[in-house]
Amino acid sequence: MKKYITVIIVSLLTFLSCEKDDICIETTTPSLVIRFYNNDIQTDVKNVLLDSVWALDKNGIEQYKSVSIDSIVIPLNLNENSTTYIIENNSSKDTIKFIYDRKDVFVSRSCGYKTIFENLQIDNNSINWIKNININNTIIENDTAAHISIFH
Amino acid sequence: MTQRHIFLFFISILFTITVNSQVKEQDTIKNKEKYGLRIGVDLSRPINSFFETENKGLEIVTDFRVLRNYYAAVELGFLDKTTNEDYLNFTTKGSYIKAGFNYNAYENWIGMSNEIYIGLRYGFSLFNQTLNSYTPNVYGTYFIPEALEPNSEFKDLNAHWVEFVFGMKVETFNNLYLGVSVSFNNLISTTDPDNFKNLQVPGFNRVFLNNKGVGFNYTLSYLIPIIKKDK
Repeated sequence: MKKYITVIIVSLLTFLSCEKDDICIETTTPSLVIRFYNNDIQTDVKNVLLDSVWALDKNGIEQYKSVSIDSIVIPLNLNENSTTYIIENNSSKDTIKFIYDRKDVFVSRSCGYKTIFENLQIDNNSINWIKNININNTIIENDTAAHISIFH
Repeated sequence: MTQRHIFLFFISILFTITVNSQVKEQDTIKNKEKYGLRIGVDLSRPINSFFETENKGLEIVTDFRVLRNYYAAVELGFLDKTTNEDYLNFTTKGSYIKAGFNYNAYENWIGMSNEIYIGLRYGFSLFNQTLNSYTPNVYGTYFIPEALEPNSEFKDLNAHWVEFVFGMKVETFNNLYLGVSVSFNNLISTTDPDNFKNLQVPGFNRVFLNNKGVGFNYTLSYLIPIIKKDK
């Protein structure tokens, strides 16, 4: 009887020790949040008729195809220090090149590291439908508030 | 005739006394309990090393019977283990010492010396962590992050913790013991590396959320009897 109890305890402990105990629930690498405003009344949010949004040499982001929207959340390239986006609004295209520094911050065992972006700047941009761009926050640590305001 | 009777009478009395005393003597021998130093190894470590090439470790376990039911216990060990997580790969290398006592709650039959015990330990470890590689974690697949290999080594880290131990030891052959124990560990303090965390500590094992840990031991140890005491 004693032997059986030992065997049961030992096997239980073996299985318990193999179980995966945590999954990543923390927020990881943030995205860039852009909000669109009316250039005439700069406090008013104004929708854009997005045809498509894409990074240079990439396909369009699925959720921003043919939608009317007042803000977009787009990922930045975390393998390089710059990302160029093309935003097509009502058949008019504008290109914006974002430059930034990257910093990897430890989150947890299951999430590993996230990349945050600092010293966000706009290297250059075209002005077809975009009238003005304002950087609200040069540090991208989370995607709860807009980092960039675009006036059109 | 009377002389002969008296003689027989005395002989019989003496005989019973000697028989009685002999029985008593045998009794006391059986009741003697062994006190001494017990030295052993954790069998699970070499077995783990055999199956996982990136997990090398050894643990020496010792205890010394101080009082009838109390044993002073010390464990010494080292670990060189590489842990692979979803987004991380790191190596922990270091040594540790644990010191404390066990209380044997098992009432043995005469001549047996088995144990079912509870114990308390203080643990201390000195170690290095090396972050071999990581992949930044990002939601979605629009930009696929590249794996980075910083190979950054964080030296001279330490950790203190307490352990509650529950286990048993069985004397299988004379002076040779097989033991199983489980410990529940609670980290008191640790020096975390800059922009990283001690996810594995030698002796403490895996550091779970809220600084808890668990350990298992399967030991084979030999008792060097030093003195024998009456029960």
